[in-house]
Amino acid sequence: MAAIAEDVLVEARPGGQSRWAALALVAPALLVLAHFAKALDLYGNDLAFTVEIVALSTLLIALIAIAIAGYLTLGEHPRAVALLRWLYRWPLFIPFVVAGQIMRTFLAKNGMLNHVLIGTGLIEPISAQSMLDWRGIVIAFVWKQAPFVTLLLAGAMASLERQHIEAARNLGAPRLRVLVDIVLPQVRGTLLVGLVLSFVTMLSVLSVPLMINPNSPTMITVDVAYRINTFADYAVANALCLLSLLLAAFGAAFYLRHAVRRVEAP
Amino acid sequence: MKVRSLLSIAALGLASIAPAAAQTTLNVVSAGDQNMVDYVNNYLGPKFEQMNPGVKVRAVGTGPGDSGSQKIYEKLEAQQKAGSATWDIDVAVVHQRGAATMVNDKLLMPYRNDIAAGKLVSRDTAKNALGANVDGYVLPMFHSQIAFAYNPDLVKAPPKSFAELAEWVKKNPKQFGYNGVKGGMSGVGFVMGWVEANSGLRDKLEKGPYDPGAKATIDKSLASLKDFNQYVVMTPGNAGTLDMLNRGEIAMGPVWVDMFYTWMADGKMNPKVKLELPAPGLPGQPMYYVIPAKAANAAMAKKFIDFAESPEVQADGIVKQFNWYPGIDPQYVQSKMTPTAWNKLFTDISPSDLASKGRPFPLSDYFTDIVEGYERVVLK
Amino acid sequence: MSAAGPSQGANSAPAEGSAAAKPQAWGDHASAAAPSLAARMLPNAVRALVLALLAFAIFGPLLNLVLWAFAEKWYFPNKLPLEYGFTFWQRVFSPRGNALGSLGTSIWIAVLTVALSLVVAVPAGYALGRLKLPWRGLILLAFLLPQAVPNLPVYVNIAQVFYRIGLAGTITGVVLVHASHGLVLAVWIASAAFASVDLSLEEAARNMGASAWTCFRTVTLPLAAPGLMASAIFVFLESVDEFTGTYFVGVPDVTTLPLLMFNASMGGNYQIASITALLLLVPSIGFMLVVERFLKADVLAMVGR
Repeated sequence: MAAIAEDVLVEARPGGQSRWAALALVAPALLVLAHFAKALDLYGNDLAFTVEIVALSTLLIALIAIAIAGYLTLGEHPRAVALLRWLYRWPLFIPFVVAGQIMRTFLAKNGMLNHVLIGTGLIEPISAQSMLDWRGIVIAFVWKQAPFVTLLLAGAMASLERQHIEAARNLGAPRLRVLVDIVLPQVRGTLLVGLVLSFVTMLSVLSVPLMINPNSPTMITVDVAYRINTFADYAVANALCLLSLLLAAFGAAFYLRHAVRRVEAP
Repeated sequence: MKVRSLLSIAALGLASIAPAAAQTTLNVVSAGDQNMVDYVNNYLGPKFEQMNPGVKVRAVGTGPGDSGSQKIYEKLEAQQKAGSATWDIDVAVVHQRGAATMVNDKLLMPYRNDIAAGKLVSRDTAKNALGANVDGYVLPMFHSQIAFAYNPDLVKAPPKSFAELAEWVKKNPKQFGYNGVKGGMSGVGFVMGWVEANSGLRDKLEKGPYDPGAKATIDKSLASLKDFNQYVVMTPGNAGTLDMLNRGEIAMGPVWVDMFYTWMADGKMNPKVKLELPAPGLPGQPMYYVIPAKAANAAMAKKFIDFAESPEVQADGIVKQFNWYPGIDPQYVQSKMTPTAWNKLFTDISPSDLASKGRPFPLSDYFTDIVEGYERVVLK
Repeated sequence: MSAAGPSQGANSAPAEGSAAAKPQAWGDHASAAAPSLAARMLPNAVRALVLALLAFAIFGPLLNLVLWAFAEKWYFPNKLPLEYGFTFWQRVFSPRGNALGSLGTSIWIAVLTVALSLVVAVPAGYALGRLKLPWRGLILLAFLLPQAVPNLPVYVNIAQVFYRIGLAGTITGVVLVHASHGLVLAVWIASAAFASVDLSLEEAARNMGASAWTCFRTVTLPLAAPGLMASAIFVFLESVDEFTGTYFVGVPDVTTLPLLMFNASMGGNYQIASITALLLLVPSIGFMLVVERFLKADVLAMVGR
């Protein structure tokens, strides 16, 4: 898996063969610089917002997936492990559009989350706040995508040889160290695949930001839909799509670079 | 075991896509909420099929708002570009913007003069969609209006004009909410109303001629809107405004009257919530019946629309069932209803209010200027 | 994903109580035993609390879904629905609405999509994961990146092509559209799965005289199976989730339940959206269970953990 990462990285680095591919992607866009200028002028903020949201979500997904998959592999309380295994998968089966809808009612100022927090006395009714902004989008994304990466990771961890793990545990290594030093390096490839796929998927989702926070700043997908539906302005919409594509490329390259670096410095 | 279970699933699947019987299928594709599809499926369809044996009416929805109409437009355009001999949509229900674009791109067939119901509509909206000439290509299915919905328990003295509203939100911060320009047309309509109220350009914006110099005045009125926005909540869409009213997070907001009544009928809106139209007015628009230029069953499509626009169906279906303003001229529908039933339409907004404060949307070019101005001035 | 949980953390209360009580009850001669008892109780408490929080984080929003599926009247200031009922279930299942038909169509399309995706992804994933193809990384990236773009313009163009070649309005057309999206997932996950198979095991098999095909069938494939199973599940879920492509290529002849779900959800018709989401849950979970059982029985046995 590190080998794949290396390959993609080498080819994605400027100077590699991918320079041609990059040019092929960008050439048509060069012809419509005006649209790009307009897109960046109007939606530059939203581009930055999109990057921040998706990057933060991916980071949180990684942490949660590692935690849950790690516990499933290294947990020593069989009932807790079984319960966790049954529990974490449920959001997988909920489509994005429904996830957006239920998060909207769950995270609203008078939504279920605040009702529970007020009911258990953890916050005052006055300080109940609506999470229907960037936090709501991140929560919806993490809620939906973390089980996906966890499932992949748990499967990969389950295929590992138990001998290494058991040997380390017999020597008295704490489980966290076993996770970080022994298990994670071996499943790095799967983790990265899961994260890259999640990152790319989240960039293309329209329903979640549209339902939770379509007012500026918002994600680029909302702006693309807005340009098409309100103005039939395919030119700027396409420019935004291309920018989204470039974002995805950088994101994928960044994660893979991260992977190779860590492999080289154990 | 696995192969067998796989085969049984396959059998189930095949059974559910049984071949269509040898009869005409009329395909009705509708933008807007799901209840529009239900309306065809549960009311128009069965009645029409009874009158025309051998015809099956099939309804599909494309989603609410202009994006739903845009989807219909794109499907027709794809077939036009592919050069298909007949197209797979017979009747479409779209918003004004979608209809204007479709007429412009020659995707529609003129039919109004071919059917009896065509004479029952004299409103300007049957000829003019946001400044585009759609005469003959459309018939309004129903008219809708944007209005302020407010909870009388929380709002004792609702502001009666935009000027009063601007004062009111300063005293009651975060109690008013609207959905900006990216979330749906009720927010866009509010912005239009604000600009008309604050720029003094109302007649020019609605009737033209288009003057690019008006942008400066428009931008100035939008600057005051930016100030206004500090005291209000931005809601996520047409449904978002209704949603927040439903949970009591805002006390007042602009909504589509047809969506409002649908939410109330579905038990999602407190029956106490009322509507009002602020001075000088808020826009409204109809949804149109249209027939694609190469519809496979054009003759049957015309019959269907004729049926749907007949006074009886408008009275029973549109007004009584949904509490929406009829598409054809009101006098034809009113004569088919009892006064009590008819007056239910005007519980909150009187006919004279509607006549004076129910405005059309500004012309297409002004529309673009205002919305783009909002992005430049208010959102930056 | 952390949120304060309600009294579902009931485990923690008695555990903490006994942790406090025990050391005192044991007195001095338990000074060595008491810390280890407390130490043993605390992880239980923490574990229970964390699980409770996770359960709330996952089921809290889902509870909303279930409530709306059965709510007939729900508005402020009521925190829970005023009236429950099945009116909206009747609306969804109205005979002309054809909910069951569209559900069946959706499942059938999803199954075909999974089959098609796997047929392509297993060899492609193997090639990209094991063999040293020169442009391997670039192929994967080029495959992946178009998924990052909002789908609408792509589907419009696909629709145009399909109308021309007569695939519009057919199940085949819709399956092709779904597979084009699912293939990305399947190929990426399959290539990772095959890449993570330990080479030494394969070499051992070859050394014992197994042919390339036997080696693949008995060693490589079973070891990559969890990843392939996961990709099958995800492709199924994606297909069941998909509505934009289905609309452009399938409507009005092919209607799927996700279309209804999307329109209802965007329009704020929570009841119908929740009901259709619950309906779609059934085949999704069912598919996952079938795949897991299938693999567990036949294939994982060969791996022998």
